[in-house]
This record gives sequence, C-alpha cells and structure tokens, in this order.
Amino acid sequence: MRLFRSNIFLWCLGIVLAVQVYLSFEIPVAGSFGDAAMLSMSGVQDVTPVKATLVSVDSGFARFSDLYGDSGRVYVTDRSYGTYKSSRPGDVLVMSVAYDRSAKGFDLVEIIRENPAITFPMIQGLGELGRNMLFHVPMSMVAFLAFLLGTIYSVLYLVKKNHDYDRRARASSAGGFLFTALATVTGSIWARFSWGTFWNWDPRETSIFILLLIYAAYFMLRSLLEESEDKKARIAAVYNIIAFVSVPFLMFVVPRITNSLHPGGGGTEAPLLNLSGKTHTAPSLGIMFEISTLLFFIVFLWMKDLVTRILRIHDKRAEAL
Amino acid sequence: MSSWQAVLRKDLRVEFRTRYGVSAVIMFLLTTVAVILYSTPGERLQPSILSALLWISLFFGAMTGLSRSFVSEEERGTSLMLRLYANGESVFIGKFVYNLLLMISLAISALIFFEFFFTKDFHVRDWSAFVLQLVLGAIGIAAVSTILSALISRASQKGALLPILALPVLMPLVIATTDATRIALEVPNAVANAQGDLLILFSFDVAMVLVSYVLFDVIWRD
Repeated sequence: MRLFRSNIFLWCLGIVLAVQVYLSFEIPVAGSFGDAAMLSMSGVQDVTPVKATLVSVDSGFARFSDLYGDSGRVYVTDRSYGTYKSSRPGDVLVMSVAYDRSAKGFDLVEIIRENPAITFPMIQGLGELGRNMLFHVPMSMVAFLAFLLGTIYSVLYLVKKNHDYDRRARASSAGGFLFTALATVTGSIWARFSWGTFWNWDPRETSIFILLLIYAAYFMLRSLLEESEDKKARIAAVYNIIAFVSVPFLMFVVPRITNSLHPGGGGTEAPLLNLSGKTHTAPSLGIMFEISTLLFFIVFLWMKDLVTRILRIHDKRAEAL
Repeated sequence: MSSWQAVLRKDLRVEFRTRYGVSAVIMFLLTTVAVILYSTPGERLQPSILSALLWISLFFGAMTGLSRSFVSEEERGTSLMLRLYANGESVFIGKFVYNLLLMISLAISALIFFEFFFTKDFHVRDWSAFVLQLVLGAIGIAAVSTILSALISRASQKGALLPILALPVLMPLVIATTDATRIALEVPNAVANAQGDLLILFSFDVAMVLVSYVLFDVIWRD
C-alpha cells in the first residue's frame, strides 16, 4: 500500500503507538473500598489503590464515597496529612489506602492522582496485572486476523495465479507467526505472576503452541520443496489453506469447551470476545483495548507490506541473475 | 464401474500383492504395545492414559501407512499414468476411500491389540460412542493424510515430512478423539457426555473433507 511508504504516516503511527503504550502503563488502576477491605482481610495485599470522591473533611479523618456509593472513612496519618488538604469536597482522588480493622476505616498511605481523567478498573485477582489485557489479548487477535488474511491471499493466489498474492500470503503468515510468538511471551509473563509458573499446559497454551508448530511446518515445507517457483507457491498455498481449517478449532472451540485457567473456558462467557457480542469490562479498559487492537493491526499491516516488498525485490533479483 | 472405484480397486490389488501397508502398520502397532507393556508391568493404566496411548499409536500408525498412497506412485513412476487415465476427482475419492479402509482396519487391529494386551484396564463402557468417535477420527485422518501425502510426494524429504505437516493440523481432532475415548472408557452413557467432542469431530471432518476435495485438483493438475 502506498500509505505505508509515506514518512508522515509512519511517524504518526509511531507516536500514537508510543502514547498508547505509555498510557497503558500510566493510567492508574483503582478499585473500591470493598476491594481494599477484601484484599486486606484475605491477606493478598495490605495497600490497595482506591478511587473515591471526597465528601467531607472532619478532624482526623475524611469521608469518601466510591463508585458503588460505599462510603469510607479515611484516616489521615502525620505522613500524609498535608496531601489532600488542598482538595475540596467533590474532588475525585485516586489514593492508596490500607485497611485498618480496629478503627473500621482506612489509613491513607499516598495520594496517587487528583481528578484523574481516566482510570482502569481493579479486576478481581488481577490488579495491576490487568494492564496486560492491552497487550496479550490484542496480539493474539491480530495473530488470528493475520492467519485469516494469509489464507485469503493463498486462495487468491490459487485463483489468479499472480505471484504477488503468494508473497503477501507468506508475509501475512510470517506476521501472524510473530504476533503469535509475542502473545505467547506476554501470556507467559502474565501466567508467571497470576498462576505461578511461566507455562501450565492450559488448553489455550497447548493450542497456541500447536499454532506455532503449524506455521513452522508451513515455512519448513516451503524451504524443503525442490520445485519451480510456481509449484512451490501452489503447494505452500494449499498447505496454508488446509492448516487454516484447524486454526478456528484451536483458537475458539477447544479452549471454550474444556476447563481452562483462561477466562471463557468450560462454557463460561469470555469477557472480551464471546457469542453474545458484549464486552464485559469497564468502558475505560474496553476503549483502550479497542485502540490497542487497531494499532497492533495497523503495525501488522505495515510489517506485511514491508516483507512483501522485500520478497518482491528478492524475487526480481533472483530472476535477473 | 466408475473411475474412482477403479482407482480404489487398483490400490487394493497392489496392497493385497505386497501387503506392505497393512504389515507395516501392524508391526508398528505391535512394537508400540510391546513398549508400553514392557515399561508398565503390573501397573493399572487409567482411561486417560490408555486413550492417549491408543491415539498416539493410531496417529503414528496412520502416518506410516497412509503416507505411502502418493509417494509410492511417485517412486514407481506410475503417477503419470494415473494422471492420464483418471481425473483428479476420482483419484482423490479412490485414494481417500482406500486410506479410510486402511485407517479403519488399523483402528480395528489396534482395538483388538488393546483388548487383548490390556485386558485388565481396557473396558469400553459405551460401544456406540466409542465406534462413533473412532469412525469420525478415521475420516478426518484419512482426508488430511490423503491431501498432504499428495502434497509431499513432490518434496525432497518425503518420509519425515508427513507427520510434521499433519500432526499440528490434526491436533484439534486428536485432542477431541482422545477426550471422547476417555469418556467412552469411563462412563456408560458416553454419547451425551462427549457431545462437545463429537461435534468438534463432525465439523472438523466436514470442513477437512470439503477443503481437501476442492484443493486436490490444484495439486494434481500439473
């Protein structure tokens, strides 16, 4: 595509992507007073970020009301006293608090942000790890779209016999392979901190491993064929189409019907991609997720275009020699 | 006699003369069962392990036997003749049916071996579900190995390539059949319990047979 050759477009893409990645880490994750009390009492963590509206300041403590309307008394310690004296009632604060069982309230540890434009929800059992939803899930979605695109190009090659479609199919599958690998790495890191080990042979982990094997076999088949370019391209296109038949089974069907550590396993509804077509997450995270998916997809398209052009030059040089 | 039946008859006749495919597959099965028996003397094998062992031996047995269908044509130099006499459609159907018959005979012999050698542990509780998933699995494996065997008959490393290409593609099928076999070994009314697996198998088979039927002509036509 012509668009990918314009420097202005690439600069814009780079800057937007950098801003998106920065915001994915920068936007504070904040829960409710209920989360803070529950996490403290179950012994998971003592200090929890909470988003709440300041109602009134009394002597020694302040009254807050969180998004569920639960009100909490936040006690001011010497260390943090000065920090919210400037806040007026009605201001929204993101602050880390510690549950104080004896005083039936919360001790203020630190004020993180005053009147934040956007916060991420505290997802039960994930906390700060929920940010990975903006990397891991979009990457695996882009991987699926890349394989789909590669298969469409393979079909187009078989129909139109134009070698450019073969190059595009190769480039798309290579991009899909890269994004599958990235999803595996980000997921593996996530698994380390959520489930304890880097790899658990969860149904989804098994299926993404098989997915990597399929496309490794695709590239291997291509290198082992000792045929003319025409036949090579035809055989590789046929394998690409056959391989894609099992991709939806691996990515959507098998992990859904077996019990899985991932959400959406064993007949439960997945939060982001499900049959009812609803996104079960807070709008802030949902919007950031959609932007992330779109940006990664554009990055994939740019990579695909780049690889196609490299292959084109490569083939032209081979012809000239 | 339609031409696909002629292709099937030719393949069956070649097979009865040499008995290469069947004997290779049976030797493979015997070796596998012997290794399992040797390494687990006197141990009780759980249904989950038995179903995995059954499908490992079926899958690799199929890869040894079924990879021959086009490679042998290429080796004997008969593929050109076949191309002259029959169109792609009838070659595909003939070879597919031949592979399916080979796969079903492989499944029956594996079943006999497992019943005979694992007498204590291998009890099928629900024969209808067991046979159903076995047939559905055989159809899927036969379809994929027919088209992939035609594909690799052109490559340089023919023997090793089929399992590498076929295993990842067939993995959803193998996962589903292994699970369905385990359920058929564990509970009496397995059809209802293994409904999800059977649905996966059925849809995978339909998709694979259709796709390989359509694509075969592309490889066959030179």
